[in-house]
Amino acid sequence: MRPAHIVFWVCVTFGGVWLQNLVPGVDFLAPGLILAMQEERWPVSVWLAFIWLFIHEGTGSMPFGAGILWYGALAGIYFFGHWLFEARNFLFMFILGASLGSMHFLLINLMALLQDWSLPMDRLLIECAQQTLIFPIEWGLLYLIHHNLPDNPHAA
Amino acid sequence: MAPGKWVNEQVSSFWTRYLYFVGIRQQNDQLRVELDAAKQELAGLREYASEVERLRQLLSLTPPVDWTRLGARIISHRLGPNAALETFLIDKGSAHGVTVNAPVVSPDGVVGRVLRISPTAATILLITDPNSRIPVVSQKNRTQGVVKGEGPTKELTLQYVPQGAPIEEGEILVTSGLEEIFPKGLPVARITTVGRSGSSLFQLINAQPLFSPRQLEEVGLLFRTTSLQPAGAAAPAPTQPVSPVVTPAPLPARSAKGLKSPAAIPPAPGQGAPLPPPPPAPAPQPAPAAAKPAEAVKKRDAAKPDAAKPEAEKKRRKPARTEGQ
Repeated sequence: MRPAHIVFWVCVTFGGVWLQNLVPGVDFLAPGLILAMQEERWPVSVWLAFIWLFIHEGTGSMPFGAGILWYGALAGIYFFGHWLFEARNFLFMFILGASLGSMHFLLINLMALLQDWSLPMDRLLIECAQQTLIFPIEWGLLYLIHHNLPDNPHAA
Repeated sequence: MAPGKWVNEQVSSFWTRYLYFVGIRQQNDQLRVELDAAKQELAGLREYASEVERLRQLLSLTPPVDWTRLGARIISHRLGPNAALETFLIDKGSAHGVTVNAPVVSPDGVVGRVLRISPTAATILLITDPNSRIPVVSQKNRTQGVVKGEGPTKELTLQYVPQGAPIEEGEILVTSGLEEIFPKGLPVARITTVGRSGSSLFQLINAQPLFSPRQLEEVGLLFRTTSLQPAGAAAPAPTQPVSPVVTPAPLPARSAKGLKSPAAIPPAPGQGAPLPPPPPAPAPQPAPAAAKPAEAVKKRDAAKPDAAKPEAEKKRRKPARTEGQ
């Protein structure tokens, strides 16, 4: 991998964790995973997903496995969706964000049900809406930055 | 000659002033650098003084008898999509003696309890989480209830307070210690509103937690030190964190269910009173008595009164119910 790309993904990781601290309940690393699956070779995506999975599992309060379900479902929706849509279409990203928001609601409720937890539903719905809106916007920004990296063949 | 002298004086004066200003410029630059360094040092010292003040307040928290404390730094608040509960991470884990359900306090009052642990970090469940329930008693009127979290930026609710029970706005709620997790008497919240509902048997009471979750930077963890230890055993130093000998049960019902009556606990090897002479085996059924001698010994021990056991043995088996009650 080229040095500029390494710096880019390191910045995405640190920036994502910082933003997740600012806006709890929203995954700021998921757009990066989709971008990695679109633009990078698959080992890069696997390594990034592996690292980010541990960040989510370590910082979250859910039992181990929620992060695997989260990123597994995201990758599954992406692979299923890119047969039907243009993979780099903003509309597809918006649909993916909406799916992620819905999945956040379902996954958290499922885990809460299994653990016999009670959750504030209003906060959960707000997080789902934030995830739906933030996902395509962040993906668009990351896509633009990634395409303008110095050693990117797509760079102008 | 006079014009020449005048020109000479003017030129030399100009040159002197020029050199003087150059020196001032250099000195000014140097002073600016020193001022920046001093400002940076001042900011660092102010932060240091603030930290010292916070740690001093944390140290002023006196743990109850038979409890000791351990300071910890908050390294992360609620973070990421999997952070469903109101939690934060601290920099102490099982390697430092932290155990699940250990009480977490601040100088203002109870913060929460340890939800899960790793070797170098622990997740703390705040009392503002909807899954947190703490039995409390009001400090002035001694009215009991259960404080339940309602989520972030929301007040706590005090449940199961009967309609006629005396309780006042502004009263401090302290832990009652009935759940065997928190020591008795730690401040939890301040009552803000007391209301009544026509259909409910209980009062509608809201309370404000005594700490601000987003402003916390350091917390203290409490550990039992001497409970359930054999009599005569030396208590550990109060400054060293000690793991609780027995993990406290989260619910009194489970605790009561799991406890064995003293008569049902067989004595440990080498402890307890000497066994009485075995009764003569009945003649018609020799085979079962000879086949299960261990069961016969257990039955004898179970029927034996507690007065025959040493005092130390009794203390060792006594459940930690006296703590915080």
